This record gives sequence, structure tokens and C-alpha cells, in this order.
Amino acid sequence: MTALQDLNARLAQKPAARLEVKNLCVAYGTFRGPFNAIDNVSFTVEPGTTLGLVGESGCGKSTVVKAIMNLLPEATTVTGDVLLNGKNILGLSDKALQQVRWTQISLITQSAMNSLDPVLCIGDQIVESILAHEKIPYGLAWARAAEMFAVVGLPAARLREFPHQFSGGMRQRAVIAMALSLNAGMLLADEPTTALDPIMQDQIMTRIRGIHEHLRRSMILVTHDIAVVSETCETTAVMYAGKLVESGATADVLQRPRHPYTMGLQNAFPKLPVRGTSRQPLISIPGTVPNLLMPPRGCRFASRCPFAAALCHAEQPELIQSSDGHAVACHFAERAPEFRLAARQAETWRAKEAAI
Amino acid sequence: MSQSTPKTDLPPIAGKGMLAAARESFILLIGDSFAVAGMVILTIFAAIAIFAPWLAPYDPFQAMLTESGRLLRLAPPSSANPFGTTAFGNDVLSQFLYGFRVAFIVGLVAAFAVGIISTVFGVVAGYFGGLIDDVLMRITDVALSIPTLPFSIVAVALLGPSIENIVLVITLLFWRNGARIIRSAVLTERERVYVKWARAAGASHIHIIMRHILPNIFRVVFLWITMSVAFAVLTEASLSFLGLGDPTVISWGQMLNTAFSSGSLRTAWWWVLPPSLGLIFLVSSLYLIGRGYEEQANPRLRRR
Amino acid sequence: MTRASTPAVVTAENLQTHFQARAGLVSALAGRTPPAIRALDGVDLTIGEREIVGLVGESGCGKSTLGMSLVRMYEPTGGDVLYHSEPVTHLKGRALKQYRREAQIIFQDPYSSLNPRLTIGQIIEEPLKIHGIGPALERRALIARALDHVRIPASTHLDSYPSDLSGGQRQRVAIARALVLEPRFIVADEPVSMLDVSIQASVLELLDELSRELGLAVLYISHDIATVGYICNHVAVMYLGQIVEEGPAEDILAEPLHPYTQRLMAAIPNMTPGAVRSRIELKGDVPSPQNIPPGCRFSSRCPFATDLCTSVAPELATLADGRRVRCHLYDGAIAEAYPGLTPPRAEIAA
Ligand SMILES: Nc1ncnc2c1ncn2[C@@H]1O[C@H](COP(=O)(O)OP(=O)(O)O)[C@@H](O)[C@H]1O
Ligand SMILES: Nc1ncnc2c1ncn2[C@@H]1O[C@H](COP(=O)(O)OP(=O)(O)O)[C@@H](O)[C@H]1O
Ligand code: SF4
Ligand code: SF4
Ligand SMILES: [Mg+2]
Ligand SMILES: [Mg+2]
Repeated sequence: MTALQDLNARLAQKPAARLEVKNLCVAYGTFRGPFNAIDNVSFTVEPGTTLGLVGESGCGKSTVVKAIMNLLPEATTVTGDVLLNGKNILGLSDKALQQVRWTQISLITQSAMNSLDPVLCIGDQIVESILAHEKIPYGLAWARAAEMFAVVGLPAARLREFPHQFSGGMRQRAVIAMALSLNAGMLLADEPTTALDPIMQDQIMTRIRGIHEHLRRSMILVTHDIAVVSETCETTAVMYAGKLVESGATADVLQRPRHPYTMGLQNAFPKLPVRGTSRQPLISIPGTVPNLLMPPRGCRFASRCPFAAALCHAEQPELIQSSDGHAVACHFAERAPEFRLAARQAETWRAKEAAI
Repeated sequence: MSQSTPKTDLPPIAGKGMLAAARESFILLIGDSFAVAGMVILTIFAAIAIFAPWLAPYDPFQAMLTESGRLLRLAPPSSANPFGTTAFGNDVLSQFLYGFRVAFIVGLVAAFAVGIISTVFGVVAGYFGGLIDDVLMRITDVALSIPTLPFSIVAVALLGPSIENIVLVITLLFWRNGARIIRSAVLTERERVYVKWARAAGASHIHIIMRHILPNIFRVVFLWITMSVAFAVLTEASLSFLGLGDPTVISWGQMLNTAFSSGSLRTAWWWVLPPSLGLIFLVSSLYLIGRGYEEQANPRLRRR
Repeated sequence: MTRASTPAVVTAENLQTHFQARAGLVSALAGRTPPAIRALDGVDLTIGEREIVGLVGESGCGKSTLGMSLVRMYEPTGGDVLYHSEPVTHLKGRALKQYRREAQIIFQDPYSSLNPRLTIGQIIEEPLKIHGIGPALERRALIARALDHVRIPASTHLDSYPSDLSGGQRQRVAIARALVLEPRFIVADEPVSMLDVSIQASVLELLDELSRELGLAVLYISHDIATVGYICNHVAVMYLGQIVEEGPAEDILAEPLHPYTQRLMAAIPNMTPGAVRSRIELKGDVPSPQNIPPGCRFSSRCPFATDLCTSVAPELATLADGRRVRCHLYDGAIAEAYPGLTPPRAEIAA
């Protein structure tokens, strides 16, 4: 066996990770007081599955990712547990974290493609990240990098090029190759394609899906694009204003949403027409996200929810899981079928807008 | 399209004037304790500069005499001369107090001139770009290649040592860095979408510069002027220390120069300490203000 | 042009906007000039009254350059821009300023399109001041009306600053600022691509309403072909500085003909259950507008490319249903050269 096959075999033996986030709360320290960006969020990523984390900007998706990676700023209060294969990785020491980041969890962010070092060739940057964790010769690391380039569909010859010679989409693919190089059991992708145009997005998502199928890694995909989630993820979690409002199997959550916010997201999402059927109009959700320095007492969506009743403004709904694994945080979850019909009418939301 | 003036109950359109913007900057500064310390020092120094003639017990060039009628040389601090006397029998306190005036005049006038020249250069080069930018920046490059101290020594020596010439030399030296810094700030501002929009709407260059560019680079200009005051004071002190100061006025640099040339730099601490501390405090207070302003005005360093 | 539904407001005729890349000092001295960047290379397009024309294509294909050339932010290097049949291609000075009142542009980024130091009132008043319109009282009335159009309550927001507004509200203010001069033509350059999905619809709806109520001609630029169908009557697809397909929105979305349009639509993820997207892989990246491939510009990536495609550039041919397509598959040339090859029909619809 060659050294490379040896290395590949060793890395391939890493099992897909199981990630369990339990009662995660994150409060950023700001000089106006604590900012409760995440409030009591729990979810589980089973080994080899992909979880889609969706919600509008500012609802705390990146904060969840940063909390898992221990990348939050100093003055932040974090409580709860993040169990990676049963071991809590919240609040580990820097040294212990070294063993976790990249080798067990790797991260791809939206801005990663801009964070490549402009004076080092791409290959050296990947090799550097491999050598930081594996005691192997340079040539072997380079061979591994070339292999990863092939996985993301880039020719190995371009390893010698510098970031400025790559287009945005190619740089993002190079970053994905880097994130894959140690075959971490858990891949966190925070909006990996936002800001790229649809063709580029499609190319990158195709690669990510391919990786998921071939390498069977566990993954969290953060995005605001529910269509991408519906094509990529087994399970979906919807966040709103720092809370998890709905989660479950993707088909259940996106096709039969039980939370009014998910219904709103569905209706607001532009779709291509299907021949022979008349297309739903686009409907936007009125109003804006509440200020989390002073979170509302009741349901956080109540100010924008067309179905809000007195109870909603007074009491926070609990996230309740039904037997099919579909969890919803809404006082009126059992009326979901009725809400779904109403939510498809632009009138329903317009009435709420007028009331705001 | 609008034939008759339609009625409206809208209140008059108002925004912040220059005054309000200045007030806002001031309020920002007050939020930073270092900047407040700097401003307190600066205010006290300014008051001393203004009231120096009334505060100084003697004329700075008046010779102190002993009871026996001899020149009172290098006397340590006493009740009559709280900061002692110089090797030529002058009262150190009075010289020190008059020194505030020179520092302020040199600092303010030079910084004002530097501020105007670098702003005009930077804005014109950055905003118009192209050939104008090339030409102006080549001029700046040439200016930048002139070594600071040798140039000032030669220039002052040729022009003659007077406050006006020193200010002139300082201005010639410091506009060039400012022009570069302000130009790069303008380059970022110029690319803002609202500037592009204003051009699309038909706005004149003057309108865009006055309305969109200048207010948004005010921060950089202010910082540069603050720093220029410090540079100017230090340069004047260096020139005077080298003996190129205006002989008709008393500056801190000159005090140090006389102390040095009379060989008392190591012994007469009462003569050396006041001007040194004056320089240190003045320059530090300006840096503190600049730093505090930077920190408060930079939205990335400050969370709402 | 077969489309004569409404009177034309703006027309591009064989419009070209080439940029001269700046030469380095050495090559400038040597007298060498780098090849021109042919960002816009022969575009014909008409936008009528009360009409929203969608312009789609990958980033870098020249959409913004077309928008900017139409509102005369750029001076075209060839062809013509007609405004109500009058050429405005090379207007200067006063005449250009007058045209700027009639043609306005809205940019993508709602966060940097408003000067953070000005109040909403000042921001919307600015164009009026630039054009020396009215005494203060009349200006106020116009501002009130513009804010009313975009449904922002003037009473509460006149003195607020952009930082007090959400992204959607800022984009509305940007629209109000464009409307206050009562233009006849608006270019909306990706007005919603930086907004949250949940509020995109409201901005699109607003554009639609304004176009109908005020009779505006709107060029709606987007890289996302999915949003185009909601508000546009007519769609043009661009590739590398040229229009490759153009026609009524429903037709193009239902059955894209040009291989590139098919690829664009196949890239949109689909959440309809059971829908299978056709996977058209494209080779390589978009060529640089400084180095345009010979023959069909899409031939370097087209899965259907033949030898003919790499040598002869196809014309924008008008089909029987009035649609225009720039591809040899539809102009009969391939059928002639390669009998037996049939045009790929759309594989998109589920
Ligand atoms: N370092 C920070 N300090 C204070 N607040 C922050 C910080 N980072 C993010 N936030 C706030 O926390 C909220 C959630 O942010 P984020 O997790 O980035 O949302 P998302 O990724 O869903 O867009 C936002 O309202 C944001 O303003
Ligand atoms: N001012 C300019 N100078 C030089 N090249 C430009 C300029 N503006 C755009 N380009 C080039 O022209 C091409 C088209 O750009 P653009 O119109 O912005 O594309 P789009 O809006 O479709 O993304 C790009 O290759 C871009 O680099
Ligand atoms: S709890 Fe009430 S306000 Fe909240 S989502 Fe359910 S119905 Fe709407
Ligand atoms: S002309 Fe040829 S290369 Fe061009 S789009 Fe048509 S088939 Fe493809
Ligand atoms: Mg984020
Ligand atoms: Mg563009």
C-alpha cells in the first residue's frame, strides 16, 4: 500500500459524528446589556445526516455555529451543552479545542473565500492545515490536497495558483476542499453559497451533496434558501428571533409546515412556475424581527403572526414534539392545516400588515 | 407635472447642520475617558497660553539679580523663582509659561494650513481620479521623498529663523502624508452607492463633495489635524533645539537648546524638566484625543 | 421587433459599452493598449410604458452595464439609446441633466445606498434640490407623495436616519428617492437580492404597482430567474454582453429554448415534492469579456456545441411565436449542416 492510500484509509475510518445541542443559550455582552441571541435551542444531528438550519438574517443561525465551534467573542455568556459523540465540547481549553477543530468538526463560512492568504498558493494553504494536525511528510499532504481538489471538481494543476487567480466560486470550492482534507466527522457550512449567483451556487451545492453521499459525513447546512434545504437535508430546523420554532423531517417541515412563520417563509419564497398550474403569488411577512435586548413576553412571532391571539402575546409557546418527530413551538399547532390554507391567501397577511 | 403647489402638513425638512455634527463629535469624545483626560489637559494648556502674560511673574528675558547685583545664574527653585533660573539669570517659570504660546501658535497655524492643503489635494485627487490623480499623486510622491529633518534644517537656515518660516516649513512637510491618507478615504467614499446614485441623479461635483464626501471623511481630516498639531509642536521644538528657532520668542525647544548649549542639561533639572514635561503632556493629550475619537467614531469598535 | 403593446419609452439599438482597461505604466510607455472589455456588445431592447422587463444572467455578464448605460451613467461606445425615440446616447451638460430627471436607477445594496448622515427627509429632498425644484413647501409636498407611494409613513420617518430602518424600508426609501423626480423610466438593479426572502415580495409588489399606477417603464435586473416571473411581462436573458433569448415571461419560464436559459433555470433548486431537475453541467467558467470566444459566445460551455457553433456567431433570430433566440439550433443552420440533429426541448417542467 502506498503512503497515500494508507493515509486515506486511516482518515476514512473516522466515523461520522453525532452532534447533540442541548438547551443552548447565548447572550452577547453589549454595553446596553446582554443580547440574548440564542434562547434555549436544542437539536440533534444523527451520524451521516444533514440538518438544514433556516431563518431570516439576524435570527441567530451563525451564532449557533460559532457556539459549536467555540468561536464566540470573550464577553459572551454561553450555557447548555454541545455534545460531540457524547462528549461536551463547550468551554474546552484552547489546547483541547485544537484537537477538535478541523480534525473532528470543520467549518465553511460565507466569507471563507475571502480569508485565503493572498501570498500563499492554494495548495500550500491546504497542506498547512493538514500538517497542523497530521505528522506526515509534505509530499504526502500535497497528494492528499490534490485528491481533495478532485473531489470539489478543480484540476490538481491549479493547486499551485494563488487566490487572486481563482474566481469567487472556485475559491469557495477550494475552501471546501480544505475543510474536507482531514475528513472531519462533522461539517458545518454557514451560508456557503450566499452572495454567489445561482449557477455557481448550484455547482457548489452539487459538490456538497456529492460529498455527503460519498463520504457520509454529518453536516449542518445554514442557509436562508429553503429550496436548497429541501434538496439537500434530511432534517430541517427553523429558527426565529433566537428560538427554534419548528423542526423535523424536511418533507414534513417544508411541505406541511405547522408553524405560521414557516408557512410565511414558504409563501415568500420565489418558485419557478410548474406548467399547467397557476402560480401562487409571492407574499411577504409584514413587520420586522423583535429587538432581542427586550424580547417580547409571549411568542416572539406574535407581532407578525396573522393568527396571533391574546394567549400568544401573554405566554411563550413551548417547543412540543409529536410522535412523528415533528416539533413545533406554537400555541395553536393543532390548527396547522387550517392555518396553512389561510396562509396561502395574501389577504391573511395583508390584514396583519394593516394592523401593525 | 405638479401644476399647482399641493398642500402638505409635513414639517420642514431638517437635518443636522455643521454645528450639530460638531456637537455630536464632542459628545462622542466625552464618552471616552482617555479623550476626556486629553481634553482637560489641552484646555488647561490653552488657558495658560492665553493668560501667560498675566500668569508669568517676570518678563521672560528679564535678568534676575542677586542682592549683590550679580546675575542670578542657575538658581534652584525658591520662593522668588519657583522653577529656578537659567544660566543667563532668566526666570524659568516665566519662560515656560510663554512657551505655551509659541507651542499653540505653531501647532494651530501649521495644523490649519496642513489640514486645508491636504484636504484639497486628497479630495481633488481621490474624487476626480484619472489623470488629475496621477499628476497630484506624483507631486505628493516627490514631496514624500524629501527627508524631513535635513529639509527643515536647510530651509530654515536659508529662509531665516522666524516663527513664520518655521510654520511654513512644517506645512510643506506635513501636507503630503495627509494628502495620501485623505485621498484613500475619499477613494472609499467615492465608491459608496449613494455617491453613484447622486451622479445618476445629475448632481454636480461640488454638490457631491460638499454633501456626501466631506461630511463622511470629516473623521479622517479631524484625526489628521490633531496629529499634525502634535507633529508641528515637536518639529518646532526640534528645530529650536538645533538652534534654528526664532530668537525673538521663547519656546520650549529653545529653552532646552539654551540649557544644552550652556552645558547645564544634566545639572539644572528645574530648567530642563518643565519644557520637556510640557511637550510630553501636550503631545500625549493630542494623541489621547485622536485615539478616543477614532475609537468612538468607528462603528466597528462601538456596538449600538 | 414584433412587440407593440405599449408605446416605447426606452430603446437600446445595437448598444455597445466597452471599457478600456487601464494599461500599466510600462505597456503605456510602450504604446500597447490592453484589449477592450466588451461588457456590452450589441444589445437591442425596448421597454414600453407600464412595462417591466426582466434582465437575467450570471454575474459579470453585463446586466449592470446595460442598466447604467440606459440611464446614461456610462456613455455607450457604440449604438444608440433612444428615449421616446430621441437619441440620448451622447447627451452632455444641461440636456443630460434633464434626461437624468426622466431616468432613475435603484441599486442593490440597501445598506450603502443611503447616506448615513442624512435624514430620510433630506435624502428624498436631495434630487429635488439638485434639479432646483420648487420652494421648500412644494418640495415637502412632493416628498410626502413619494413616501406615500412607497408606503412609509412620513409623519414618523421623516426625521429618522437610515440606521433606524430595516433593509426593506431602506430599499423603499431608495425607491421613493428615485420616484420624487417623477421619472418615466426606472432601472432596478437587483433591488431585492440583498433583502431577506420574507420581505422581498413586498418590494417586488411595490415595483409592480408603481409601474401600473404611474405608467413607469421598468428594467428589473436580477441574477435569479425565479423572481423575474412574478412581476415581469417580458424577459431578456444575457450572456457575455449579448442578449441570447428574449420573449414574454410566461413563454420563457415555461419553455426556455436557448441552452443557456435552460441551464439558468436548471440551476434553481426546486422544492416542489417529486420534481426532478434536469442536470445540465456546464464546462468551465464564463469567458472574460476581454477575450471573447469566436463563433457563438456560449460555445465554450454549451453541451450542444457543434463545429458550426465555434466558427459562426448566431444572430438573434425571431421565431414564429415572436420569441427571439440566438442559437444555431433554432435558426436552421445546424439542421442544414447536420441533418438529423433536433433542437433540445425544455427538460425543465416537471
Ligand atoms: N459579536 C456580537 N455582539 C453582539 N451582538 C451580536 C454579535 N454577533 C451577532 N450579534 C447579533 O446576534 C443576532 C444573531 O446574529 P447571527 O447569529 O449572525 O444571525 P444569522 O446568522 O441568523 O443572520 C443578530 O441580531 C446580531 O446582530
Ligand atoms: N467601470 C468598469 N470598468 C471596467 N470593467 C468593467 C466596469 N464595469 C463593469 N466592468 C466589467 O464588465 C463586465 C460586466 O459587468 P457588470 O455589468 O457589472 O455585470 P453584471 O451586472 O451582470 O454582474 C464584467 O466583466 C466587469 O468586470
Ligand atoms: S403562538 Fe400564536 S403568535 Fe406564535 S406562531 Fe403560534 S399562533 Fe402565531
Ligand atoms: S449556437 Fe451552438 S454553442 Fe451556441 S448556444 Fe446554440 S448550440 Fe450552443
Ligand atoms: Mg449568518
Ligand atoms: Mg450587477
